[in-house]
Amino acid sequence: MEQQEKTQLSYWQKNWILFKIYFVTSLFTFTGGIAMLSALKREICDKHRLMADEEFYNYAAISQTLPGVIAVTNASFIGKKVNGTSGMFIAAFAAILPAFVFMLIATVLYQLLPKEGPIYYGLSAIRAISAAFIFSAALTIAKLNLKNIYNILIAFICFIAIIFGLLDAIWLIIIAIVVGILLSFKQKRGEQ
Amino acid sequence: MPILIVLVLMFLKVGFLGFGGGYAMLPLIFEEARNIGLTIEQFADLNVLDVLIPGPIAINAATYVGFLFGGIIGSTVATLTVTIPSFVFAPVLIKYEDKIKQNVYLSNVLSSVKAAAVGLIAGIGVLILVHNALEIDNLRQIFSAKINWFLLAVTFIGWFLHDKYKINPIILTIFAGIVGYLFHYI
Repeated sequence: MEQQEKTQLSYWQKNWILFKIYFVTSLFTFTGGIAMLSALKREICDKHRLMADEEFYNYAAISQTLPGVIAVTNASFIGKKVNGTSGMFIAAFAAILPAFVFMLIATVLYQLLPKEGPIYYGLSAIRAISAAFIFSAALTIAKLNLKNIYNILIAFICFIAIIFGLLDAIWLIIIAIVVGILLSFKQKRGEQ
Repeated sequence: MPILIVLVLMFLKVGFLGFGGGYAMLPLIFEEARNIGLTIEQFADLNVLDVLIPGPIAINAATYVGFLFGGIIGSTVATLTVTIPSFVFAPVLIKYEDKIKQNVYLSNVLSSVKAAAVGLIAGIGVLILVHNALEIDNLRQIFSAKINWFLLAVTFIGWFLHDKYKINPIILTIFAGIVGYLFHYI
């Protein structure tokens, strides 16, 4: 029965469903990420039965390991699997469309705000609170990732380098990538 | 170099070195955009808009930076560019699902890059804080700081409320704006 439902969907129906799912999930997800996953899973696996749960979570996990925008990589994997290359582009397009349109409108409006007087003081306070959100984000990632001495050291060095303007972020990230690769060598040798 | 090419190169870098997604990509965006003239205020504003607007952070950032430097075309080009890694990796790697998930190199790189991101993000938070509340660009200038206690308090009270009581960031943002606005009249 399930198999039959799958085959009944035409090429265009599948693309339309992919578009709808990714557009709506992206529309209602702030700052992206994990919150999207449960909504996506419900639509893709439970409601439309486009793929099995396990397969879905597999793609979700890989999307988080690869460089790039996680939500778009996720849409690309699942779109490609469900409906080939057109599915990939349509799902990815739907995932970025709401963010792009709203952010564009917001940016245009934001430029129109006066840069002096009481509004400016309001903006300064809002900028101050944006630093608070950034600290929160750093703390959240720290709790999940700073579990060994190497990682704590990397985080500390990056922090010092940035606040004193010593080294560019891009070099620090490249160094971190190299450290990750070297640690893998060490780990593999340890296993042998 | 024409601005569109600058934007393409910039967001290719951000995309292909952007391990860990979301906030982890922010330090690269910060630095690359600073290099083409984005101010710390404009970057702080990006973070505010990001909290208010739905969607992935990197998409919001590309749209914002692209618009500031290249108008609507720049904004479209930057946003499409930052998605390129997804279209490269997904079709190529779709055949090797299980191998990627258990790849030692990838998982170690991800772990150390996320560790770097912790330091970089916290550092950028400090830069925004000192620029906004102390009027200096980095901690080397700490002795010429002029402390604005009000803005300093907003940051730490906001952090406390957001982290400890999980108050919605949109509500906090609006509230901070109103308090700042009223504070002007005191």
